[in-house]
Amino acid sequence: MTAGKLEPLDPVIHSQVRLAVLSILVSVENADFNYLKKATEATDGNLSTHLTKLEESGYVGVAKSFRGKKPVTTCSITGKGRSAFARYVKALESYLPPGR
Amino acid sequence: MDERNPEMDERQAREEIRLIQTMVEKTRQTTAESGTLFVFWGVICALALIGSYILGFLKLYRWEWANWAGLTIFGWIVTIVYSIRKGRRESVRTYTQTAARHLYFGCGLGFLLVGLLFPAAGVYSHEAIPVLISAVSGILFFVLGGIFAWPFLRGIGLAWWAGAIGLSFFSTEIRIPVYTGLFIALFLVPAFVLRLKFRRERMPS
Repeated sequence: MTAGKLEPLDPVIHSQVRLAVLSILVSVENADFNYLKKATEATDGNLSTHLTKLEESGYVGVAKSFRGKKPVTTCSITGKGRSAFARYVKALESYLPPGR
Repeated sequence: MDERNPEMDERQAREEIRLIQTMVEKTRQTTAESGTLFVFWGVICALALIGSYILGFLKLYRWEWANWAGLTIFGWIVTIVYSIRKGRRESVRTYTQTAARHLYFGCGLGFLLVGLLFPAAGVYSHEAIPVLISAVSGILFFVLGGIFAWPFLRGIGLAWWAGAIGLSFFSTEIRIPVYTGLFIALFLVPAFVLRLKFRRERMPS
């Protein structure tokens, strides 16, 4: 049994990889591509595609730099992404029975 | 991980909430405070205190400043090299880590100023060093306790301030031994507790 009104879910976040990425980024200042790949267990190409979608929606900022001679892609959540994530979690709660 | 069906039910909602919790927990384990530099500085200060005792016993008082300056400079070099290398390896950075890093640097500089440079410049007597170092230690632990939301460290900060007030009432001869006791109880013990906490947090729950 769920609460009366079911909130609509943001289609940009409604994917396991993108939700996992935002869940990480919401609690940190930034995280690099390799960390996100390891944590989400996604492949390079898959993660890249999802990050592009999040970046295009303005939820995530992606910066490319060098650590010594090694290229590093660093991701961080934007204010818009943070608000969208909060709305998504609130919407998820509407699918749960009251008080859970 | 694939795209999900846009239709959502209670079971899927629970799965997604569990996924959020798992990711947050993984990140928390990765970014737990190691306490390595705390332990390192505890050892440096302990060595400097032992050095002071030996020099005092040998009545070589004029070398005490060199003892503290040498170990402090060594400590700073190791800290800077360690921080740069750690920064290069760091794959994820939290706001907490950034705040703590600034606090460590600020208090480290504070220790350098009140413990070495100001007394050397004759701003005040060497006798005031333990009192002022204790006051800066209070700031370090109290703010760190706030950043990590850990009341234990806030309590240590308050104890350092109480110690600073207490030290000001002791004569010079017993101020250093009392300060050494304070240092063991309020710096070395919390440093090792922090290290144990880090090792526990690194373990998957």
